[in-house]
Amino acid sequence: MDLLKEISESLQKGDDAKVGELTQKAIDEGMEPKVILDDGLIAGMNVIGKRFRDHEIFLPHVLLSARAMYAGMDLLRPLFLRDEVPSAGKVVLGTVQGDLHDIGKNLVGIMLKGAGFEIVDLGKDVAPEVFVDTAEKEGASIIGMSTLLTTTAPGMVRVIEIINERGLGDKIKTIVGGAPVSQDMADTIGADAYGYDAANAVETIKEMVGV
Amino acid sequence: MKRIIHFELEEVRAPREAVLDHQGIPEDAEVPHRILALYDDAASQFASLARPRGMIAEISEAEFREVFPGEGNNADDAVVANVFPKADHLALFAATMGGEVSEAIADHFDKNEFALGVMLDAVASMTADRTSEVIADHYHAQLIAEERATPAHHVLGYSPGYCGWHITGQRKLFAYLTPDKIGISLNASCLMNPLKSVSGVLVSGSIDVHVFKAGYSYCPQCRNATCLSRMERLMASERGSA
Repeated sequence: MDLLKEISESLQKGDDAKVGELTQKAIDEGMEPKVILDDGLIAGMNVIGKRFRDHEIFLPHVLLSARAMYAGMDLLRPLFLRDEVPSAGKVVLGTVQGDLHDIGKNLVGIMLKGAGFEIVDLGKDVAPEVFVDTAEKEGASIIGMSTLLTTTAPGMVRVIEIINERGLGDKIKTIVGGAPVSQDMADTIGADAYGYDAANAVETIKEMVGV
Repeated sequence: MKRIIHFELEEVRAPREAVLDHQGIPEDAEVPHRILALYDDAASQFASLARPRGMIAEISEAEFREVFPGEGNNADDAVVANVFPKADHLALFAATMGGEVSEAIADHFDKNEFALGVMLDAVASMTADRTSEVIADHYHAQLIAEERATPAHHVLGYSPGYCGWHITGQRKLFAYLTPDKIGISLNASCLMNPLKSVSGVLVSGSIDVHVFKAGYSYCPQCRNATCLSRMERLMASERGSA
């Protein structure tokens, strides 16, 4: 079987040891790292993403595949240092100030990485200025904010205000999500997009950057 | 009087189906062996890390009337506003799984063990939810033992952050209950620490006290609608005992 196809299929099975082994084999055979990434790892994650959206597989299955993708990426990353790791775009992610829930945000980050995005994960309890400062410094085009609490949702509003105050609205787009967040709320606070769940957030971000 | 309860894990453990359902896996789905093994691993880790404990403090209707409005942010049509005046007895409660579980979840993510981290998170969340039901059972048993309620009464918990009771209501609830005695604190955003904790008011009364139509101003934004399944269970148990 074609080596790249084998990588993709092992990734879909969530077999991280096999993905690591096959990725190393592809590297040793002189295959271009970008080809291994695009046609092996990301190709496999794309299949997983589609099957998840179509309700053919469940969240733990996606996460096992994500771990397998990371096993391959860990081997490829040093080879990209000379240039840059190919990226579908850079996204700054975080849970807003005052909120320590990060499972939802982590899922978005894992799935975005699986889709080939570069993630700057600020963690939880992130101050509004830190979101915008980091996006500017890193040249990220998207800020993703998550919250599970109604009390911390105003932190999202402040991030959008800072973006507008600094005249960055054309360069940096925002997407919001979390239990108390709705499309109505996203519209009201002036966010560019709303992610209903992690999979939807990834699809929405892909549309935002035109991937 | 305030009462602290240390739970046996078996008493509060959430069923496997509930944990899987929390991750979008329906009860009738054929669950792959690898996912079941993941569940077993998470459940085993939870058993070694969790320290489930809770606290109950009875409160009079007059006192709760002071606690419930919180900081004035509740919805005008909050469910609890209609429920508590009809109650026979009220008690504030809080319960926690302890902080070690949250640390283990974060550790799994740091090591790229995402599936295990999410599964452990689901086990902890669903067990915390289940604990609020168990603590309600404890309060019911206490009321029956003291001949202040009968088995035909129902005790259900209602929590800030749900059904129009604003989460900032936690501050007055915590001031009355003082759950720091079981290791739960509140941050500036009214978030409980440890994360896997629950709090609220236990309401004892007849079934009529707890049954309502879910047509409130905030219902369209609600994603889980656990009130509906809970009312269904309540009515089913009432039919079963009739």
